[in-house]
Amino acid sequence: MNALPARTMRGLVLPLALLVAWQVWGMATTNPRTPTPTRIVRAAVELVESGDLPLSIATSLGRVFAGFAAAALIAIPLGLAMGASRPVERNVDPVIESFRPIAAIAILPLAILWLGTGTPAAVLIVAYAAFFPIVINAIAGAKRINPTLLRAAATMGLSRFAIMRTVVVPSALPAIGVGLRIGMGVAWTAIVAAELAVGAKAGGGGTGGIGSMMFIFYAYSIELNRIVVCMIAVGLVALVLDRALRAAMRWLMPWSAS
Amino acid sequence: MSAAKLRLRHVGKRFGADAAKQTVAVDDFTLDVAPGEFLVIVGPSGCGKTTILNVLAGLEPPTAGEAFIDQRPISGPGPERGVMFQDYALFPWQTVSGNVEFGLRHGPAGDGLDTSARNARVRATIDLVGLQGSEHKYPHQLSGGMRQRVALARLIANEPQVLLMDEPLAALDAQTRLILQDELLRIWGQDRSAAQRRTVVFITHAIDEAVFLADRVAVMTAHPGRLKALIDVALPRPRNDATRADPQFQALCQHIWSLIRDEAYRATVA
Amino acid sequence: MRLRPALVYVRTMAVFVAVWWLVSVWTANTVLLPSPPVVFDAIVDLARDLELFQHAGISLLRMVLSLVVAGALALPLGFAMGLRRGIDAAVDPTIELLRPISGIAWIPLALFIFGVGNTLPIFIMTYAAFFPILLGTVAGVRGVDRRLVDAARTMGVPRRTIITRVVMPAALPALLVALRLGVASSWTAVIAAELIGAPSGLGYAVEWYRELLMTPQVMSFIAMIGVLGYACDRTVRALAERFTPWAGDEWQR
Repeated sequence: MNALPARTMRGLVLPLALLVAWQVWGMATTNPRTPTPTRIVRAAVELVESGDLPLSIATSLGRVFAGFAAAALIAIPLGLAMGASRPVERNVDPVIESFRPIAAIAILPLAILWLGTGTPAAVLIVAYAAFFPIVINAIAGAKRINPTLLRAAATMGLSRFAIMRTVVVPSALPAIGVGLRIGMGVAWTAIVAAELAVGAKAGGGGTGGIGSMMFIFYAYSIELNRIVVCMIAVGLVALVLDRALRAAMRWLMPWSAS
Repeated sequence: MSAAKLRLRHVGKRFGADAAKQTVAVDDFTLDVAPGEFLVIVGPSGCGKTTILNVLAGLEPPTAGEAFIDQRPISGPGPERGVMFQDYALFPWQTVSGNVEFGLRHGPAGDGLDTSARNARVRATIDLVGLQGSEHKYPHQLSGGMRQRVALARLIANEPQVLLMDEPLAALDAQTRLILQDELLRIWGQDRSAAQRRTVVFITHAIDEAVFLADRVAVMTAHPGRLKALIDVALPRPRNDATRADPQFQALCQHIWSLIRDEAYRATVA
Repeated sequence: MRLRPALVYVRTMAVFVAVWWLVSVWTANTVLLPSPPVVFDAIVDLARDLELFQHAGISLLRMVLSLVVAGALALPLGFAMGLRRGIDAAVDPTIELLRPISGIAWIPLALFIFGVGNTLPIFIMTYAAFFPILLGTVAGVRGVDRRLVDAARTMGVPRRTIITRVVMPAALPALLVALRLGVASSWTAVIAAELIGAPSGLGYAVEWYRELLMTPQVMSFIAMIGVLGYACDRTVRALAERFTPWAGDEWQR
């Protein structure tokens, strides 16, 4: 059996050392609520068994997917159109650039004013957040298309529509993929932020999503270990989403080198 | 007969730590370069020309054999063996004079030079390569030909004994190339005696370029890189446009091409 | 020709405002969608009694502070990781484990540790800015053209000088990109952090007025958030133009 490569071993030293130091520190303090690795593991097991953690993650993910899909459906065609046509870009760009610096979370109070504190507002925030990276990368993708490729297709007699379908879209796909990945990351962060902010105002249970649940553990039941479990879950879901999207992109684009 | 300026003795280079997956870039390469000689190495892609240059420059150690300058083993890079890279490697944040004086300011070649002496040498070098008036321009504002002159000036300012050049003219268009070949020979001092000239090891793909510039041409083969032939170029100096029309020039080009042709063909189908 | 883009911008925004006005008149509900003039009045009032600028100043100050701290931590570490594979191998896994946990997710725990106040936003913002700056620095250092380093080596330049005189200037364009990303990250985090856990700042102001159902004011502060975010980004871009004029437009927009 081969030992793990040296590089991996060296990489594990720091995290393991930190974990051990943390555990020791935690056992030395007297407060039973202090988070330590062992208590966190126990809290994780409890949360999973009770179904609270899976339910809250599912709720949040549902909102993310809905918002993400809505954003992509608008942003991809819009971005491609803007990248392909200077007049379209010139006319739409000012609105996009004006709103881009306004983070989704800043829109949340407006969304709550309009739609209340439930899922519709959350989906709106997610869609708003994901929209910008997707559209910007779609624009870049459409712009970066090698004009020589377009000309080559034209000299083979393809119609404008066929060129869009067979040259523009595949060429822009890598950039769109990047936009989708960034958009997904932003969407997940946005939902957690939105649920945290709403949780600060309302008081729901696991159906409020993971951000909301985290806030309740802070404000009402003061379960620090459970908070940390949620934090780790947030990180893990982000990783899984990113990997899944990357795999999907690779499957869609077998010709791409990276 | 004076001693060789540069010696390569059975130099070999393998890449890859894994014994099963090693590539042999260069195998058993032995060559002497005489002082003041202009030696050109020619060969197909992947024949290890750049590796030989890197060994002479001291940028990479050989895995077999040894390299010497003036009978001393080469153990690392240094200003006495100046290098000109294919993509110029100019510092984009420095002006032309900033680039040219870099080695004098920060390296041992400038030891013992006070500011005015340094500036004088920089100015003289810039004049020599024909860039007067462009001292304050940045690389991104220069054409390819001009950038190449800057790279050459930066190299010469350190007054190296040996110039190592890795396909320096490859990125230029054909016309600029011809001009710079002439310029290179002028700056090298092709009308001076061998004792007064610097030693040059020059790498290129282009056979006509090799024959035009060289005193001797080393022909390499690929996979693994080996020295196939050493060919004397007895064409008179100074070399100029008339040289290219010389039938002996044509004959030499044909001869070298016949040595490489098969390999070059195989590279386009394999 | 330079004037045309400005005119197009004005025209587009005018269309946007016109559509907004029409919808607001149609809904006729100031809490739901105030009309542009009402919002404009709110902005003017808030500006006149300086409340707009006070909160803006506080948020900006927090951002600058967090960038300084994040930079002070991330730049040296990034250089070390970029230059020495050993350090990178040792530290990178820990970084990669922490990075997916966004700054936002830290808010509840940080609230518990720091409570509501100034420290919370600065902590969250520093954390948010740290990773983009670190990763961008590592990429920038690693991305330095090897030929530039080789050229300096062949001139006999000592290693220390190579790092200061070649690697650092060569990495500068990428570092400024990293800084831009850090600014964006940290400005997003400021809003979330202030909304939830600070007694002042633009995020706090937005939430405060929402609870009072004073939508024009809410929109005023949101607009301020947008304007300042844009201004900060432009500032970093101007810095990059000024200090690294040779770098092309590798980073769009």
